[in-house]
Amino acid sequence: MPTTTAPSPLSTKVSGGNGARRRRYHAEGLEAGKRSTRTLLWILLAAAMILYGFPFLYLLFTSFKTPIDTIAVPPTILPREWTLENYTNALGRSGVLASFINSAQTAIISTVLSLVLAVPAAYGITRYKTPSGRVFIMAALVTRMVPPVAIGIPLASMMSAAGLADTPIALSIAHTTISLPLSIWLMSSFFEAVPQDLEEAATVDGCSRLGALWRVVIPVVSGGIAVTAIFAFLASWNEFLFALLMTAVRSQTTPVVIANFQTQFGLDWGSMTALAAVYSIPVILLTLLLQRKIVAGMTLGAVKG
Amino acid sequence: MRISDRRFATFLMAPAALFLAIFVAYPLFRLVADSFFKISPIAGGARDFVGMDNYFRAFASEAFMGAGWRTLAYTLVVVTLEFALGLGMALLFTMLGRNSQIWRTVFLYPLMIAPIVAGLLWKFLMIDNFGLIGTLMHQAGLLANPNQIGWLSDPNIVLFSVAIPDIWLTTSFMCLVLFAGLQNIPGDIIEAARLDGARAPAMLFRIILPLLRPVIAVALVVRGIDAARAFDTILIQTNGGPQSASETMSLLIYRTMIRFGDPGLASAMGTIYLLAMLAVAFFAVSTIWRPGKDN
Repeated sequence: MPTTTAPSPLSTKVSGGNGARRRRYHAEGLEAGKRSTRTLLWILLAAAMILYGFPFLYLLFTSFKTPIDTIAVPPTILPREWTLENYTNALGRSGVLASFINSAQTAIISTVLSLVLAVPAAYGITRYKTPSGRVFIMAALVTRMVPPVAIGIPLASMMSAAGLADTPIALSIAHTTISLPLSIWLMSSFFEAVPQDLEEAATVDGCSRLGALWRVVIPVVSGGIAVTAIFAFLASWNEFLFALLMTAVRSQTTPVVIANFQTQFGLDWGSMTALAAVYSIPVILLTLLLQRKIVAGMTLGAVKG
Repeated sequence: MRISDRRFATFLMAPAALFLAIFVAYPLFRLVADSFFKISPIAGGARDFVGMDNYFRAFASEAFMGAGWRTLAYTLVVVTLEFALGLGMALLFTMLGRNSQIWRTVFLYPLMIAPIVAGLLWKFLMIDNFGLIGTLMHQAGLLANPNQIGWLSDPNIVLFSVAIPDIWLTTSFMCLVLFAGLQNIPGDIIEAARLDGARAPAMLFRIILPLLRPVIAVALVVRGIDAARAFDTILIQTNGGPQSASETMSLLIYRTMIRFGDPGLASAMGTIYLLAMLAVAFFAVSTIWRPGKDN
């Protein structure tokens, strides 16, 4: 049984517990009681948050500085003069907007591919628990240990042999080698939580096994599918090594363009920070919006490997 | 006609298995096969069987042994600091209780930032001349001169500097996993220890950490594997320099292949790297993590 391969403590309470548990926890748990201690803890937290949040804020501030201010000595934190020049420079550069489209395209194809392959596989593993299923899920775990650089080079030459060199499809396939194993682990734990009577009832009512999966089980785990989709998307959106090895002009993703800024245009820090901000903000907003789901997936994913 | 359950399960797993076989297993097979050949980097070029020669060359090369030690040191630094900081934050959040929820969410944000962006950002903060960190430390009176520490240009400390973005990016992950673990420690155990007069350090080392053992093991193994594969953040900060002082295994293999055009040697290095990762991971999984052995 796949769940027994992982320590269980995390699976119960990743998305907030019930009230009774909270109260008991409040009364007897690790929560600090004394007011002075609590004040001290809040000060510590504030300090940590400032330190932790500052780097990205500095990136944002820098992206609004004039090019001269960007590399001023000594550096200032806030721009002396706010300008959108870096944004127009960065986005106006040839290939930059196309790279956003490539990134989005690659991430979407890879997410869909990952889900289409992982959902049935995970269901087959958890619902039927055959020996081959057990071997398969362990093999998926081993895949997580493979360094991308080790398969990136042969994979790139396979793709060019197949005539897929420099296409979003080739890169999507490469990204799926990363997200598929994680998707299988995540989806198995979501399927594990579905009671079997549900699809047994559906089969009694005349559904085929495939029909029961499609009409009864899939709707129940739709939340889990959403979590898995977010992880597959993020993995592809942020990936760099495969993108560097497998893309040239036509299918280049934004991370590669950001890295190329360093060599091609000297050190244009202003444009680099503007582009980096544009690339990061959508996913940061997505995270804040969907944080509950992401936390659930992260803790499950960690436990599963 | 109904097919058996076993057949049906196989039918469901087959597409994913086929995908992994073609796009992971086959490239790995190619990697191992290529490691026994001397290959010309030009497409369709010469390909001569040389047996173990690439392996002997790898082990004889200073770059390879150096990259191996650096990868190990890098992994240890990243995982240790990240664990210490993550545990500290997780304890802080736990002690503050429910009120800290919104801050826990905000704390997640670096996890969503592309490693390449994080590397770039920290390079900008640490760079000589106009890097902000040197200036702030100078203004705080810690340094006599803003450029006193050559974060990315001093070979003695660069391996530590290039680890900073990685630590910044993934401390949240460690914190999150440990926080989830802390939430599952029953309150009565803590209360009992408190009644027995356990002070904070005893509470931490004798009660909390042992109870968190399975969670800690998983987090360390998962992060250890990731840190040992670091590539993006280092490449953008230093490209392995100065003088190879921050060249880890992924970078060395990449450069051997792309810059020095030696696919055979790169494949041998890749194979050794992969075997080492698998060996360490299996050792860690079977002795520290012990899946299924904990209740």
